[in-house]
Amino acid sequence: MLLTSAAYFSFLAAVFFAYWFAARYRLGALAVVLFANYFFYARWDLVYLAIIPTASSCDFLIGLALHRSSHNVRRRLLVTLSIALNLGLIASVKYLPVLPWVLPLALSFYAFQSLTYTIEIYRRDTKPAESYLAYLASASFFPTTVAGPITRISTLLPQWSKREMLNSQDGGRALFLIGLGLVKKLLIADFLAENLVNRVFDLPKLYSGAEVLAGVYGYALQLYYDFSGYTDIAIGSALLLGIALPRNFNRPYAAQNISDFWRRWHITFSNWLRDYLYFSLPGLRSRWKIFAYVNLVITMALGGLWHGAAWTFIVWGVWHGVGLAAHRWWRALHGNPRLSLTPGARFLCGLATFHFVLIGWIFFRASSLSVARDILYQISSGTISFANITPAFVAVMMVAAAAHYVPQRWYDGGLQLYCQFPYYAQAAAIAALAVAIRYVAGSGSAPFIYSRF
Amino acid sequence: MPTPIFPRKTSFAIATLGALLLLLETAKLARPFTLAEVIDFRPRDLPNVEPLPPMPPLTTPAGARKRPIIEANLIDPHDNLRAFYLALWRTELGAPGAITRVLHYGDSPVTADSITADVRSLLQQHFGDAGHGFVLIAKPWAWYGHRGVEVKGTGWRINAATQVRARDGFHGLGGVSFEGDTGASSRLTLAEDHARMEIHFLRQPGGGALAVEAGGQKLGDVETEGPALQPAYQTFALSAGQREINLSVERGPVRLFGVIFERNTPGVIYNSLGLNGGQVQVVVRYFDKPQWTEELQHQHPDLVVINYGTNESIYADYIERYYPGELRQVIASVQAAVPRASVLIMSPMDRGQRDSNSRVTTVPTLPRLVEIQRKIAAEMGCAFFNTFQAMGGEGTMARWYDSTPRLVSADFTHPLPAGARKVGVLLDQALESGYRQFKAREQRPALSAPVAQENR
Repeated sequence: MLLTSAAYFSFLAAVFFAYWFAARYRLGALAVVLFANYFFYARWDLVYLAIIPTASSCDFLIGLALHRSSHNVRRRLLVTLSIALNLGLIASVKYLPVLPWVLPLALSFYAFQSLTYTIEIYRRDTKPAESYLAYLASASFFPTTVAGPITRISTLLPQWSKREMLNSQDGGRALFLIGLGLVKKLLIADFLAENLVNRVFDLPKLYSGAEVLAGVYGYALQLYYDFSGYTDIAIGSALLLGIALPRNFNRPYAAQNISDFWRRWHITFSNWLRDYLYFSLPGLRSRWKIFAYVNLVITMALGGLWHGAAWTFIVWGVWHGVGLAAHRWWRALHGNPRLSLTPGARFLCGLATFHFVLIGWIFFRASSLSVARDILYQISSGTISFANITPAFVAVMMVAAAAHYVPQRWYDGGLQLYCQFPYYAQAAAIAALAVAIRYVAGSGSAPFIYSRF
Repeated sequence: MPTPIFPRKTSFAIATLGALLLLLETAKLARPFTLAEVIDFRPRDLPNVEPLPPMPPLTTPAGARKRPIIEANLIDPHDNLRAFYLALWRTELGAPGAITRVLHYGDSPVTADSITADVRSLLQQHFGDAGHGFVLIAKPWAWYGHRGVEVKGTGWRINAATQVRARDGFHGLGGVSFEGDTGASSRLTLAEDHARMEIHFLRQPGGGALAVEAGGQKLGDVETEGPALQPAYQTFALSAGQREINLSVERGPVRLFGVIFERNTPGVIYNSLGLNGGQVQVVVRYFDKPQWTEELQHQHPDLVVINYGTNESIYADYIERYYPGELRQVIASVQAAVPRASVLIMSPMDRGQRDSNSRVTTVPTLPRLVEIQRKIAAEMGCAFFNTFQAMGGEGTMARWYDSTPRLVSADFTHPLPAGARKVGVLLDQALESGYRQFKAREQRPALSAPVAQENR
């Protein structure tokens, strides 16, 4: 059930009404959410009805055991068991399929969320869930299932106990985010993908250097609008149930350097890598400073590998790891020069950072290293032809690029205005959007890019 | 602890939105949707494509009643593939020098040796490998490539018949002319040994000289000076291990068309002659007919495959008004040049486009173009391979795009390697099945009688 499908929104509306009818009783609300979660998984494949409750129950029990145990070795064994269980889940679905069929939904995001629970209890940063039902509902919370945002279980659990009504401001914000996500995904990301990006990345040698370059720029925008569009819908969906999910994007292509980029791009993933992988790697507390740099590269390489068992993802991860290490080294030598930069220098830094990221996206998107090489070769060939670039593609690219740099206050103003609309105007605005999507984007929406990771 | 109250404003907004969408759907302004989709637990990977419409029945010409249609998608009522089958038979029997030569003209997929590489490989597995065949000496398009030969050229002025064409229309066998001054060079690296190579060039007044090296050893020079413009050929023997061929212009100007690599063993040579953007009108309008005729005759092909149509398929008016005439002209040119060769019209593959509902559907004019090709093939005494139908007919590109692994690029036109292989296998299966049936039909008590009687 794609988050852009009519089926999903019918499902969401049903869950919304059922949840708030049951919300007088905490147990009833949790039961509605849990039923919705498992229904959502089952719509992808019925086998998840066996996998998810079993894995969640294991982690819940491990969490309890971790909390009760004071024996270090036993605690290490328990957390290792949880890590093995969740990584095994990812590996069995993505890398070493043990099932005789391919599962449509990777469990990476589920596993990452579950790991936050057991690792935090191991580190004694949090206590185990008091309610089994609340834990099951949190671990498999349906808006985060497909592609995050990766939400710590410890931030979800207290929200089930919150006994507050959904105010009209949050309700309006939820609908606004869902509408915005649909625009990002269906009107921008899918359009760019269908009208040049996919073709260029399939057979780059068929296109001129200029077209391939346009395709690569297009992919940078497609990926952002696809993933952030999904995130907006996920956050909006959760907010309809009164649950706040963390922010995942903050205008990443406006970043001034690569460290800044990772504070703005897939924020929950980079935080997860930092908190649960980077800080767990050996050597950080040693006197050898080199570990700080090497661990960055290792972390990002593993982050790349998480996206798929392919050399392209490893190259992408190492590329970013080396970039982050180089930036860290530069800051160690020169301090943080950002404050003293002129506007022109900041612009150049932003441009350089964007193109550094862009090169990484070539490897991220290419189906193999040879395709990535072909893309770089075509761009460097300097051949110029725009036969495959339509005015509509250029227009959408320009709108997408400009929208990325819209000042935050404009966005906040738009949101505020929408929230102040009467209910029928809110509904009419989204209905108008549905019609626009019908005529501009059509019905063949592609799956979200990050749903396969 | 406060008790949550129903969020009225948001509930009203959602309820109103639902009502509005139902109204819009009734007015056909929103996407069609049924609530049953919500509880649809079928596996998600099923592609959403229209069912295949039934194909109209194919009528067999009266003269062909006695002959069975040997393959569903390979229509050969006039037994036009006889010459090709006989050549294959000789090759299969292993007679010395029994080489079956195929010339396959096509558009962009063939330019990358897609489809043709797979047919070549399969035919050579079954009948013997007599060499790679024709290769251009540099890449007119980055997309150009041949499986088993690496091509790298620098310093050439490249005139492809589909692009910056040569004014005199001399585009050689492969549709591309390469003109170089002193310093222009090419390196062709073969994956396997060959016994000889034949350089195709233009003899011309004031023509220069080309140095030919193989495996670091100079094989000789090609002098291109001549009294008039004339296609010419020079053959060099290659010994074992000589796989890196260097061609360099010692004295300009030199004009080359390509190189053919052959072996001495009986087998098949399947020449892939692709032109990016290739169409029948390019052959009709921009090939110098006498020069092309000379090139074709020099090859003594047993089969000429004419595999255009994809680029024409989106021009409905052109297809109705001009295409039939231009296709007839191309066929007539080939038949006049090599009257003993079989001619096979190979239809384009399916070609998809997104319709107003964003579904991938077959370009509406494509079936019409295929039908025209089928009729003209029958009328002109050619065999016809219906690639479009063999690969699944209408909607194939939608299915191929949704399949795992994906078989076609996102342009719904160019096959990815797995898709190209599928088409290559389909063509090979049709040809080999036709050949087996031909053999069974022709076999007399003396196995080799037809071969002896009809030696060309």
